[in-house]
Amino acid sequence: MPENTTVTAPTIRDNHAQSSVPCAHCGLPAAAAFDHENQALPSFCCIGCEAIYHAIHSGGFDTFYKLRDMSQNARGQRAVINSGNTDPNLTDKHFSTFDSDEFLEKHSNLLEDGTRSIDLHLEGVHCAGCVWLTERLPHVIPGVIEARLSLARARLELRWNPEHTQLSAIAQWLTRYGYMPHALRSDRIAGHSKAERALLMRVGASWAIAGNIMILAVAMYGGLDILHDPKLATFARYISLGLATVSLVYGGGVFFRRAAGSLRGVLSRAEGFAWNRLSMDVPIALGVFVGWAHSAVATVTGQGDVWFDSIAVLIAALLTARWLQMRGRRFAGDAAERLLSLLPSTARRLLPDNAESDQPRIEEVPADTLQLGDLVEVRAGDVIPADGVIIHGASTVHRAVVTGESRPEPVTAGDTIEAGVTNLGAVLTVRVTAAGNETRVGKLMQWVEDGERRRAPIVQLADRLGGLFVLVVLAASALTGLVWSFIDPAQAVAHVVALLVISCPCALGMATPLALTVGVGRAAKQGFFIKHDDVLQSLARATHIIFDKTGTLTEGRMTVAHITGSTEAAHAAARLEAHSNHPIAAALTAWAATPNAPNLAPPTDITEVPGNGITGRIDEVPTAVGHIDWIISLLENPSDDEINTWRKHVATIVADGFTPVVVAQNHKITAAIGIGDRLRTDAPELIATLKARGIQPALLSGDHPELVAACAQTLGIDPTLTRGGVDPEQKRLFVEELRKNNPDAQIVMVGDGVNDATALQAADVGIAVHGGTQAALVAADIFVTRQGIENILELIDGTHQVMRTVHRNLIGSAVYNALGISLAALGLVAPLLAAVAMPLSSLFVIASSLAQKSFHHPYSDPTGSTQSTTTGLNISKTQKNAL
Amino acid sequence: MNVLFFVIPIALCFAVASVLTFFWAARRGQFDDLDTPAIRMLIDDEK
Repeated sequence: MPENTTVTAPTIRDNHAQSSVPCAHCGLPAAAAFDHENQALPSFCCIGCEAIYHAIHSGGFDTFYKLRDMSQNARGQRAVINSGNTDPNLTDKHFSTFDSDEFLEKHSNLLEDGTRSIDLHLEGVHCAGCVWLTERLPHVIPGVIEARLSLARARLELRWNPEHTQLSAIAQWLTRYGYMPHALRSDRIAGHSKAERALLMRVGASWAIAGNIMILAVAMYGGLDILHDPKLATFARYISLGLATVSLVYGGGVFFRRAAGSLRGVLSRAEGFAWNRLSMDVPIALGVFVGWAHSAVATVTGQGDVWFDSIAVLIAALLTARWLQMRGRRFAGDAAERLLSLLPSTARRLLPDNAESDQPRIEEVPADTLQLGDLVEVRAGDVIPADGVIIHGASTVHRAVVTGESRPEPVTAGDTIEAGVTNLGAVLTVRVTAAGNETRVGKLMQWVEDGERRRAPIVQLADRLGGLFVLVVLAASALTGLVWSFIDPAQAVAHVVALLVISCPCALGMATPLALTVGVGRAAKQGFFIKHDDVLQSLARATHIIFDKTGTLTEGRMTVAHITGSTEAAHAAARLEAHSNHPIAAALTAWAATPNAPNLAPPTDITEVPGNGITGRIDEVPTAVGHIDWIISLLENPSDDEINTWRKHVATIVADGFTPVVVAQNHKITAAIGIGDRLRTDAPELIATLKARGIQPALLSGDHPELVAACAQTLGIDPTLTRGGVDPEQKRLFVEELRKNNPDAQIVMVGDGVNDATALQAADVGIAVHGGTQAALVAADIFVTRQGIENILELIDGTHQVMRTVHRNLIGSAVYNALGISLAALGLVAPLLAAVAMPLSSLFVIASSLAQKSFHHPYSDPTGSTQSTTTGLNISKTQKNAL
Repeated sequence: MNVLFFVIPIALCFAVASVLTFFWAARRGQFDDLDTPAIRMLIDDEK
């Protein structure tokens, strides 16, 4: 066996995944429990869930389970629970830092009546039960005035009176029920939601104005009483002028301000004027202003045509597109805020005065205030708060978050250890060598955040076309008016009016954003969250897909992968290993915990030999489990034949990338068991399909190179595109190298860990898969909340469909406008016909966007429903006003 | 058709009123979270 290790609660919980009953609290698989009359009892996956379950019952909060089941039935089962929230070790966290003035100043707002408000990000909220339970806070803790949970964003808005209760008490209560709170920066949040609300108000007002101008315009184009009462027409024109001016100043002001900024930027550049550096706001502002000025002059002089309706609709449509984008990007912003939760916010610092004594005093301090040389205590199950050197204690740590290594590693005094690593075994004392942003993970996070900021702003096709469109239409109408005044002056006005009416900025402006928004909303319903809609195009053209191994292509945990020999022997081994806390033992125990397992007597005479294995007697049969060499040394007169056969089996297991364990019963080898991180069952098919479509798969992992190579061979991934033992920096370099060698490549990276974050960011499209870490979520453009890997294919298919819809919309509305404008210029369209054709073109774009075939398989998810509601609302609003 | 001279301004007043109501709602954060309120109504108000 490779190393001798110990395992505690966090991994054991995972390893129960093979038995069948859902845990009564969290829904993860758990071993079935029965009472003496064989009645089913509530089953639990771990002691933490059991404690929470009983706490909820004894607290009289049973409604939680009722509501949770209700919302899960309505939306389909969702077994996504954030890790850590069931860890019993968390419940004795004191959150003493939450009460410091410094913390309250930074994270909360003091209101006029002396109360404070704070936004907390809660881990582990996922259903209606969570809403109910957290919103019970004002009833259970006196001093809490209001608690409102936003389910989709996992954000709790809390208002409390600091004189009656402390924030730490509230945080402890939340933690006791499994919702680990994380503080967010209040100033940044307030800024975000304020900007979004302001834009929404502009959108609403612009549409209201556009709708009213359109009603007047339809009446005018329809010739309503204009001939009978010219005063009424003038009146309608002046009202339209007033409304359009409000829309121009209030709604269009956004474009004017940004256009002015862009012009200033270009003019102040030393190397002279460059047209291509102008932002898209310039043509929009110019087009909108020229259109408004032209119509205003026509209104005042009573000569010429007004065009207020199109101007107002254009402003409203472009603002809507921006608002949709802003709302879509909100999720990315949320994820960036949550980066804090990757590292523990507090550390248990040993007070320096008696740090070396046997009973050191410990204080809980904010992790980012740790100083070089401080000593911190890290308990089992906790995450290391800073980079450092272990000075006391020996334990096992799980480095998967930082390195991608799937096996727990033993550490002892003198070893270096990084922030973000989970301590599995025993208490460690660590001397801090780097804290906060200086840690390895901290630097990685900063790189990711910088990358997020560096990202080029999305150039909206709608913006680009919108401004140009107005200018083209104005030029065309001027030309038409000029030419027709020579041919037939009496008809000139009618033809120009027809041209202005039939041209539809709405269809062109909304073609891209509407199709993308519907696509993104549908994708969210399917469990794909797309943060930047511009990546859809890159994904549809993907040429290379790089996969991370641990947790992406594999299950990310130790399981029994295959058994050679007798299954009964494996059960006996599991029985024996139940008394060991080696990770391999945990995998075996989990494998054996099925209802139809043979009923074996409890083992006796157990002896564990560290580094070799374990022996004991089961039903008086001497049984040994362990490393093959050690087992052979225990056999009585083994035959060469027997040794060679089993050595061959073991060699096969090793070649497959698994760790071998051999079982001997009655001094005969009866089974060889391969234990390791198994490939997901759908991985081979995915790779095969990708290759069949001409997409080149690649494999990157921080795991041991030989394991990675074995994995690549099984899947049929090109060895030249496979790298094992790579660190995050090398992963990024691999992406860049791939791009250098294939300049036209569209590279997609699929990963889940912090160690993939840099590669996710460097790739054209980063996809974080189910269960990914916060860092991966921030760095990725898309993240998948569904289990399994085969849905990557569905995602690619979906993006193809969305892009097809975008093209259909653009071509459709461009053809419509080109045809309509040409026909009107030729004098073939009457104004009334034009007034009917215009809304029809908008309807075409809306219908085409809604009828897209992307992501149409039903899949429900609580967070997904937000996106769909949002989209539904926007569309109905657009639909109403476009008409 | 002279009635239109009165009716259109009155209609515009309604429009202004609804825009102001919308502003009021947006400012109070009514459109910030469109998901949770749908669930909140399932919860009985027991004291």
